[in-house]
Amino acid sequence: MSALPAFKLPERPLKMDARAKEIRTNIINVSASSGHGHIPTSFSIVDALCAVYNTMSHDPKQPKKADRDIFILSKGHAALGFYCTLATYGYFPIEEVYGFGKFDQKFGCHPDRTKVPGAEASTGSLGHGISLAAGMALGMKIKGENKRRAYTLIGDGESNEGTVWETIMVSVHRKLDNLTIIFDANNSQIRCMPVDNAAARFAAFGCDVHEVDGHDIAAMEKALKAPAKSVKVLVAHTVKGYGCRSLHEGTGMFEWHRRSPKPEEREMLLGELDAYSV
Amino acid sequence: MRTQFRDTVSALGDADEKVVVVLGDISMFQFKNFAEKHSNRFFNMGICENSLISITAGLSSQGLRPFVHTIAPFLVDRCVEQIKLDMCYNEFGGTIVTTGATFDYAWDGATHHTYMDLAILRMLPKMGVCQPGSKKEVDSLIRARYAGADPTYVRLSDNPHGLDIDVTFGKANVLKNSSKKLTVMTAGPIAGNVMEAVKDLDVNIVYFSTIKPIDGEAVRKFKDTPILVVHDAFGLHEAINAEMPGLNTTYQGLPDAFCGWYGTVHDLRKRVGLDPASIRAKAQSMLGQRNF
Repeated sequence: MSALPAFKLPERPLKMDARAKEIRTNIINVSASSGHGHIPTSFSIVDALCAVYNTMSHDPKQPKKADRDIFILSKGHAALGFYCTLATYGYFPIEEVYGFGKFDQKFGCHPDRTKVPGAEASTGSLGHGISLAAGMALGMKIKGENKRRAYTLIGDGESNEGTVWETIMVSVHRKLDNLTIIFDANNSQIRCMPVDNAAARFAAFGCDVHEVDGHDIAAMEKALKAPAKSVKVLVAHTVKGYGCRSLHEGTGMFEWHRRSPKPEEREMLLGELDAYSV
Repeated sequence: MRTQFRDTVSALGDADEKVVVVLGDISMFQFKNFAEKHSNRFFNMGICENSLISITAGLSSQGLRPFVHTIAPFLVDRCVEQIKLDMCYNEFGGTIVTTGATFDYAWDGATHHTYMDLAILRMLPKMGVCQPGSKKEVDSLIRARYAGADPTYVRLSDNPHGLDIDVTFGKANVLKNSSKKLTVMTAGPIAGNVMEAVKDLDVNIVYFSTIKPIDGEAVRKFKDTPILVVHDAFGLHEAINAEMPGLNTTYQGLPDAFCGWYGTVHDLRKRVGLDPASIRAKAQSMLGQRNF
């Protein structure tokens, strides 16, 4: 495997995008209200989701529009981040998301495509969404829909699953240059099996790799818009819990993996988010 | 049956641009003509069954009508979660067609035997589960289901039953209906041995080509007789009892053991009591007759 220079995130956080801050604020509030949600993993992908929804062809008022691009959240446990993003982008009012995880509501802790406008696949078991997205990209090719693209966001932990690499082999072999994979390199697997040097791994499989700061929306949009020579992979280097100090410092990302804030913690996290955003 | 699968899908594919064939590195020569005529809708995708199922679901999501095909244990046993979530839960249809039913590959040992597939898949919501026993049934069942919204499983075999039965998806065939003493229920290729074994006995004979949905009317019709279920897989006995709990059923089928004795399908059927003589002896025993 060819060695690539280690990617370094900037020392200081970028000024947080207003929409990204709104989404993170809603994540904290919905989680505090419902007692559900994976906050750190949702926080790590918010900026990548903004880049995707700023870039791809979609219409929140016509979520099933025939010529739309498709986005699949393969790491379905980041559903809360996904729902809050869809709300900010106009798919439904954020008030609806406050039913998160509650009986008979639309918004489960993993997305259900038959219930949530804008959700293109029901995910939760890892290593499925990427393969569905590949099938969708192949379907677009068969039908000659050359302007459409399929996007999927996978986790680095998810990439312990063999189906991720199986599907990448198939996708590269089938020349699915209309498939974009965002790899959330948030180091969640440092305690078991990290996917080290991910960019070199994807490049070795024949992907068109862009290594980016996963909190720099403009940089990701540029990479997403670049012409694709093969299956495009954005290795998005992120901080799990980016936006609140308590979520990522020390062992925060593990302690908060699936924990919702109590009222006083909610205030603390919102304060930390404000501090990050100036 | 595999040649019929090829012929049926080729005919459908000639008329319907939505038909796509996805193979797991098997039956390529069978589909040579299809591949040449419809190269943009034919994919010998590789030995990656989990991805084959998910990609098939993705194709279906785009309005296509995919057929995914390879050897049964690898495409079903290995891929239960992909079938459950990516096809059934996501409501993405498609037709899963396997070869290598039960002991078709007897000589290859237990890694290549398949007997859980019907039982597992019948538990999945929205799944249609078919076990054709002849070429005619393959054609009929595929045509009935391939364009529908729900996923379908079609289990091919190299050992057709040799009977001429006109089947309809979801409906059983009552092949003999004259007894008040015993009803024999069976499905798929083993029906050949069943007919040879019991056709001259005082029994009713009911044949299922569809395991899910099971034909409840056919089950209830014979509720007043003991029922001998003869099946070379799991799934039919469970489906019959789930349809009407409290029936007096007896299962003549597979043991709770790996049947790794090699040889031929006939050797293994005989060892587990699914040869004509063993089936006849069981039926006679239930009829209270001496075995002849």
